[in-house]
Amino acid sequence: MKILKELYDYREMIFNLVKKELRGRYKGSVLGFLWTFINPLFQLIIYTIVFSYIMRSGIDKYYLFLFVALIPWIFFQTSLQGGAASIITQKSLVTKIYFPREVIPVSFVTSCFMNMLFCFVIIFIVVGLAGVKLSLLGLLCLPIVMLVEYLLALGFTMIASAVTVYFRDFEHILGIIVMAWMYLTPIIFALDIVPDAFMPIFKYNPLTYVIEAYRDILYAGGVPQMSELLYSFIVGVVVVVIGFIVFAKLKRHFAEEL
Amino acid sequence: MENGNVIELKNIYKKFDLYVDKRQSFKEKFLFHPANNHTEVVVLDDISLSIKKGESVGLIGRNGCGKSTLLKLISRIMYPEKGTVAVEGRVSSLIELGAGFHPDMSGRENIFINASILGLSKKETEERMAQIIEFSELGDFIDNPIRTYSSGMYMRLAFAVAINVDADILLIDEILSVGDISFQKKCFEKLKEIKSRGTTIVIVSHSLGQIEKLCNKSYWIEGGKIICEGSPKAVHKRYLKYMNQDVEEVIKEEKEEEERIEGVTEEPKVEEPKSEEPKVEEPPKEDTEEVHEDVLIETEELRKNSKRWGSREVEITSVELLDDNGNAKGSFKTGENITIVMKYNAKKRIRNIVAGIGIFRADGVNCYGTNTLIDKLKGLTVYKNGEVICKVKNNLLEGNYLLDVALHEPSGYAYDYYREVCKFNVKDDLVEAGIIRLDHTWKY
Repeated sequence: MKILKELYDYREMIFNLVKKELRGRYKGSVLGFLWTFINPLFQLIIYTIVFSYIMRSGIDKYYLFLFVALIPWIFFQTSLQGGAASIITQKSLVTKIYFPREVIPVSFVTSCFMNMLFCFVIIFIVVGLAGVKLSLLGLLCLPIVMLVEYLLALGFTMIASAVTVYFRDFEHILGIIVMAWMYLTPIIFALDIVPDAFMPIFKYNPLTYVIEAYRDILYAGGVPQMSELLYSFIVGVVVVVIGFIVFAKLKRHFAEEL
Repeated sequence: MENGNVIELKNIYKKFDLYVDKRQSFKEKFLFHPANNHTEVVVLDDISLSIKKGESVGLIGRNGCGKSTLLKLISRIMYPEKGTVAVEGRVSSLIELGAGFHPDMSGRENIFINASILGLSKKETEERMAQIIEFSELGDFIDNPIRTYSSGMYMRLAFAVAINVDADILLIDEILSVGDISFQKKCFEKLKEIKSRGTTIVIVSHSLGQIEKLCNKSYWIEGGKIICEGSPKAVHKRYLKYMNQDVEEVIKEEKEEEERIEGVTEEPKVEEPKSEEPKVEEPPKEDTEEVHEDVLIETEELRKNSKRWGSREVEITSVELLDDNGNAKGSFKTGENITIVMKYNAKKRIRNIVAGIGIFRADGVNCYGTNTLIDKLKGLTVYKNGEVICKVKNNLLEGNYLLDVALHEPSGYAYDYYREVCKFNVKDDLVEAGIIRLDHTWKY
């Protein structure tokens, strides 16, 4: 609890780090901030070609089906993978100055989250072009879905960032885990084509319901299954709590390990 | 915490694992697990100290004695293995200046970033903005990106932010050397002002003069323990004396001196190596003067000590210059032999060590340097105490000279590299010109 107050005291630092992260990410590149949009756009184009024309999925408006799931997934993926190295990247600060170390992963995940919000501008354009009729209630649920995903991303990133300081391979191991995780979440395919044997994994995966919820709102124009989302929310809270505890334990020796 | 204390350390114990080759990856951590390739180094051993609100405290000791680590524990960058650290109030550390500065952003924007890292809210920063800009002497440059700044401007800005945080406790690590002399003076004045406002200050510095001017108490730390605490002048006197001697010698000498001097200035409380020291009311007058001179000379000696590096697995404990009769001297004639006696202490047996010497003229000209490897000698094996003797025929001409000595591996890895370990001068009966006497003959 004390850490939450401290984080609040250092809110200005979090804000500044997020700003720096967003500004710095594509610094020096010609297209600059546009890359935030171009990257997912091309990913979308590639997946759409593959799954609409080569491995035909038979899903109506596949590009939209994919897009509303892909952008949230990219948020989760970059948070976790980039966040794992975030403490090491901020080495000079960690070894020289006191501030609550939690600031680093929190601001990293938040900057990825902001990126996702910017991408949602494009999502809404695509949704509009596709002629989906959005439900107002569903739209009101959207921030809740985002919050749940934020909690999950934050919790896992806290653990990953702290562990990576002691065990550098974790960053690379995480790359593999995240790749597998993507295919164990219904992102490029629908949940109903998953064979029964694999179903339990999907059922326990909290991200499944988050992705489904995004789809319910933005693809189907409906309202998400709140009971399923509740499961993800609970997992998210538990992971955040565990994340903060693990982090608090491990952060004591950051300055020496770096 | 006890009444009035803002910093309280109790029985602090801190060690570092020093890895010869740190294994951080999976393969190394798991596949080679049985091999234990690290040594534990105790940095702080059972240190207890408390600092009251408004006190200014200096921490002194030679490089690697643990004083900076102590500062890092107080600032919560590190945590002790054993013991407790209690700190009350906002801490600002002038350990790292310009944390988080972004070269492409303007000075003003960077003030916000830097201040936020030091824990200031936007409103608090805005309140201090004018003050910070004024102190930094940057004027209109404040809105230029800081990559266009000179290093002096950069440091001034960084210092201005750090010092205007209005912390309850200010921790300073060896940074009062920023900018030009006038800015240094200004920083120092600012520190005095901050101190007078009741801010608690803890300084780590090699500049004993600064500590004496600013602090009311000094702690001398050596080998992770507080050797001595008390008024800065008294502690520093003892510290300076120690710098050229072994601990044993200090103890011995102190026992001898017990009934002679002391009481010159306020007597420091000595915790180690000795716990009590009787006072004698009337100090002999000449001793007082001698002490003063000692301090002056040895302060210079101390400055040189920052010119020492190496792993210290073997440590050079003393260096003496002897003449042919075996008398230690500081002045030699051209043509006389100089015997350099380097005493060392090795914690473990190490083979194939290279011993070297280097002689520099006071203005920095390298006159001569050699080592046992250059001379194609077998490396020496060290264990515990021993000495290396190098006999030199002194061909140097009149002037002041400095001697460097070193013990290192053939690869160059330094065990103890000690620059300017001692000073000597050379007198020449003849009036030759140059640096060195070359063997020569004339023919007509």
